[in-house]
Amino acid sequence: MDELDLLKQDWKRKEQELPKLSYDDIHKMIWKRSSSIVKWIFVISILEFLFWGLISFTLKDSEGMEAYNSIKDLTLMKVLTYFGNAALFVFILLFFMNYRRISTIDNAKTLMKNILRTRKTVNYYVWFNLVYFVIFSFVIIFLEMNYDEQLIQLHDEFAAKGNETMFYTVIYGMSFIFVIIFAVVIWLFYRLIYGILLKKLNKNYKELKQIEV
Amino acid sequence: MNKEQEHTFVTLLEENQNIVHKICRLYTSDADAHNDLFQEITIQLWKAYPKFRGDAKFTTWMYRVALNTAITLYRKSKKKIKTQEIEPISFKIKAEEYDDQVEQQLRLMYDAIKELNDIDKALVFLYLEDRDYKDISETLGISEVNARVKMNRIKTKLRTVLNP
Repeated sequence: MDELDLLKQDWKRKEQELPKLSYDDIHKMIWKRSSSIVKWIFVISILEFLFWGLISFTLKDSEGMEAYNSIKDLTLMKVLTYFGNAALFVFILLFFMNYRRISTIDNAKTLMKNILRTRKTVNYYVWFNLVYFVIFSFVIIFLEMNYDEQLIQLHDEFAAKGNETMFYTVIYGMSFIFVIIFAVVIWLFYRLIYGILLKKLNKNYKELKQIEV
Repeated sequence: MNKEQEHTFVTLLEENQNIVHKICRLYTSDADAHNDLFQEITIQLWKAYPKFRGDAKFTTWMYRVALNTAITLYRKSKKKIKTQEIEPISFKIKAEEYDDQVEQQLRLMYDAIKELNDIDKALVFLYLEDRDYKDISETLGISEVNARVKMNRIKTKLRTVLNP
């Protein structure tokens, strides 16, 4: 007899050693809370949408941005704001459409693909936000230079002393550093989420795809 | 879902719980994790039950949802306690049933299976459960030919363990 047949035989024999749960044990279990990665992905994604939504609202409404009032009625600003809101709406819609597609009765590969696709939607939204955030910041800085009286005054003071270049360097340099720090923090956060949540999934998905090569 | 459906589901699962236990033994290495995974699979089966249509066999459907949970959805429980680790697949083999050599061979093969990656484990599991290749390919989402090729490779690997 082949070794593998022997293994198969033994596998069947071992069924008798398996634990046996009662009807009540199983009945209790069906109402317990799931801790699957799909649930985690859903919660984290919703938190991300909230986070980014909140960031854009506080940015636009904070008192610290008083100077912002002088430019908020400009067409360019309005367009940018509408664009940001529309993107949020579209991404949330896409996210829910993809999320609903996740089903445990699909085959393993399709299930993994759909989970990854759902996650990717949120990722694209975050990257979109980073780019949008950078553009938005620079547009604001640029407009403030021309519309904000305090800033114009400061500029004139620097210019009078012949330090105009330094003025621009400081303003743009600081903005640049701020954006870089922000992007790195976001990137690290993502590495962490991926590290924790999707390591196993990515590995298994790659494994399945390799079988087909 | 109504009470009747609930009752049917629990009864069906109770009758076929061996399938879930076997998957738990393959994919976990201690009693806590075993129970944890069993519970998660039960929850996922129950959640997917409304989508179960009578035209497929309950067990076929179970293999798919249960394996999907073990391979993809399940996150290892944090409660894991190292000292409690038990040998998951190499259960005690009753001495009177096999001679020493066979016992040794089985142990080696079970150990080798334990070392396989999640996907290969799923293949071996379905093979040991006597599922045909059409079924294996549909459960994992790979072609039948590739399932066969991959399984043959794993078989060779297991034989190599015995005859290095």
